[in-house]
Amino acid sequence: MRYLIATALAALALHGAPAVAAEQGVTDTEILIGEVDPFTGPPALLGKAHSSGLKLAFAEANEAGVNGRKIKMISEDDGYVTARTLQGLRKVIDVDKVFSVVGISGSGQSIAAMPVLEKSGVPTIISSAPVSQIFEPARKNVFALGQVYTQGIKELTAFLADKFPGKKWGIVTQDDDYGLLVREGFDTIVKAKKLNVVYSGSYKKGQTDFASDMLRLKESGAEVFLAGGIISENVAMIKEMEKLAFKPAVGIFWPGRIEVVLKLAGPASDGLYAVDYVEPLAGPAGKAFVEQAKKHLTEAEMKGINRYTEAGYAAGRVLVEAFRKCGKALTRDCAISEIEKTKDLQTGVMAPISFGAGKRFSDQKVQIMQADFATLSYKPVK
Amino acid sequence: MRSGDFKETYADLIVLSDSRLVWAWAGVLVVALVVAPFVVNAYVLSLLTLVLITVTGALGLNLLTGLTGLISLGHAGFLLLGAYGYAIVVAKHNLHPLLGFLAAGVAPALFAIVVGLPSLRLRGLYLAITTLAFSYIISDLILEAKSITDGARGITVQRPEFFGLDFSSDPSFALLCAFVAAVALFACLNIQRSRIGRAFMAIRDNDIAARTMGVNLQAFKLYAFMTSAFITGIAGALMGIYLSFVSVEGFPFLFSIEALAILIVGGLGSALGAVLGTVFIVLLPEAIRILFSWFGGALESLLSTGVHEVKSIAYGVAIILFLRFEPRGLVGVWRDAKRLWTHWPLKY
Repeated sequence: MRYLIATALAALALHGAPAVAAEQGVTDTEILIGEVDPFTGPPALLGKAHSSGLKLAFAEANEAGVNGRKIKMISEDDGYVTARTLQGLRKVIDVDKVFSVVGISGSGQSIAAMPVLEKSGVPTIISSAPVSQIFEPARKNVFALGQVYTQGIKELTAFLADKFPGKKWGIVTQDDDYGLLVREGFDTIVKAKKLNVVYSGSYKKGQTDFASDMLRLKESGAEVFLAGGIISENVAMIKEMEKLAFKPAVGIFWPGRIEVVLKLAGPASDGLYAVDYVEPLAGPAGKAFVEQAKKHLTEAEMKGINRYTEAGYAAGRVLVEAFRKCGKALTRDCAISEIEKTKDLQTGVMAPISFGAGKRFSDQKVQIMQADFATLSYKPVK
Repeated sequence: MRSGDFKETYADLIVLSDSRLVWAWAGVLVVALVVAPFVVNAYVLSLLTLVLITVTGALGLNLLTGLTGLISLGHAGFLLLGAYGYAIVVAKHNLHPLLGFLAAGVAPALFAIVVGLPSLRLRGLYLAITTLAFSYIISDLILEAKSITDGARGITVQRPEFFGLDFSSDPSFALLCAFVAAVALFACLNIQRSRIGRAFMAIRDNDIAARTMGVNLQAFKLYAFMTSAFITGIAGALMGIYLSFVSVEGFPFLFSIEALAILIVGGLGSALGAVLGTVFIVLLPEAIRILFSWFGGALESLLSTGVHEVKSIAYGVAIILFLRFEPRGLVGVWRDAKRLWTHWPLKY
């Protein structure tokens, strides 16, 4: 009888004992990752590519498993509308109960997401559009992977200034936060190198006709031109310059450095200079990445592969490496700590990635590349 | 048992509701709204918050488009002005949040005079295009007035705290949104049953006839614009706080179209319609997601990347269906259901 009572009490004690709090989004067999990106509307070109990169990184990791677990990604579409970004983010965190978050649409959307992310405490990597507001001030659980716009544009402008000394410059930027950052970087180098800017214009987001802008640019005598559009705007500007038989040296920036721009802009896009922190797909590293991707991505996903796929892949790899180092006892604190300890992680799609104590920005090295219309690709400039 | 509506005085005709049951249900709804933020999960809470903010904005547009018959495609502009009005006063100048809400209402109301003046001569599509142009002008003005608005950089907004009440938590902010939506609803219902509301409806039904009846078209059209903009601006302030970041990008033109879709689906000219339409349109993607989840994982995963495409199609289909089969919108369905309940088994 006493034995029976003791057994019953032991069972009761075990039942009544507080359960060890399981980490949200982690089971014995699965790790849930949430992603919010634009999958509809014009920015879908970028969002879908970014998502494919994440899918690739997780598919590779799942081949061997992450300490016996498989990674499952839950993707939410925000259509590039900030209110929906927050909805999607809250859904993946509070309903799907993901362990970690990655991606997050554009720069404005990421900034708006900060309070939700910070409050949730989920390990997060922002890899779609890193801007300084994300890592300044540093937030414990939020990491920015990539490079900020101002730095990229500074390096592109400095490169073009050295390559085309003494030339007249023109610039057209978008009238939003993106355009503002592009201009900030440009102005810094203009001042430092005393460049002669003969034309400076801006356009409203969504503008499709650049006839007058390009005519004025031509009349200004600009010989080096920084096209500060994203995709359709840069295509329209290049097409318009072609119509005017106007051939300055043209520089574009990474948000629009995708191969489809070359196809849409036609032969006039040949020789465009671009800057980016991810490898050009036509370079040796890019080619290797494309081959690697074929194994896990569908035909449709392969068609949409671009620089955002590489950015997504790198972010996925950072997470996977951190999870692996945590071993079986995967917790948020451990994941955050391991992401922080990331040192010279080789992903093959960008320079080695490092974070550090209190350092939440990977500060990737950028490189200059040039468009080759014949192969519809960008190649590194030696 | 109540068997019909018999009104004996004018007061009976304009009373908000003469049914105790309706008031009792309204009380239940209020209690549910007060309790819900503390019992639902964070995602449902965010949906609820969005519904409440959108209800306020839709009620504002309903005053102008539904009640007065003046089509506006520029309400995203009023939302934006409201959000910036609040953000500038509270986040940039550290003034009291209530002053921020006041600015969020007054700034769009003043700008509404500018857009309202052409409405005295324009109507229909011409007015719609004018209001559309207005929303673009507002975006440009905000981007150019960098010293006041910080231009394209946007303004970060914190959750408010006033009279010892802290709205920094999600449930308490949802309560604030519920309070504002309730006040907006009562204001709209009261305007609707007042002399002003009747003048609005007279203008909507036939402005020449309204003029011959002594309705001052200029004054009432401007009044409709200003009141509508004031309420929409308050919704904009709440949206700005909800987003925690106010920028031109955060208030796309799509908001204007969604607001019109809400009124059409809900039932033009009815405050209840604006509420029902908001619930329907905001929760439609969720309903579709749940529907697809019943059909297995493959469809669900397909939807996770295409939910807004399906949503866009669903918007269009819903509007077409309502226009074709029920032009009175959801509120028409609701009234039919009420009539059926009251008169059953008789038809009339």
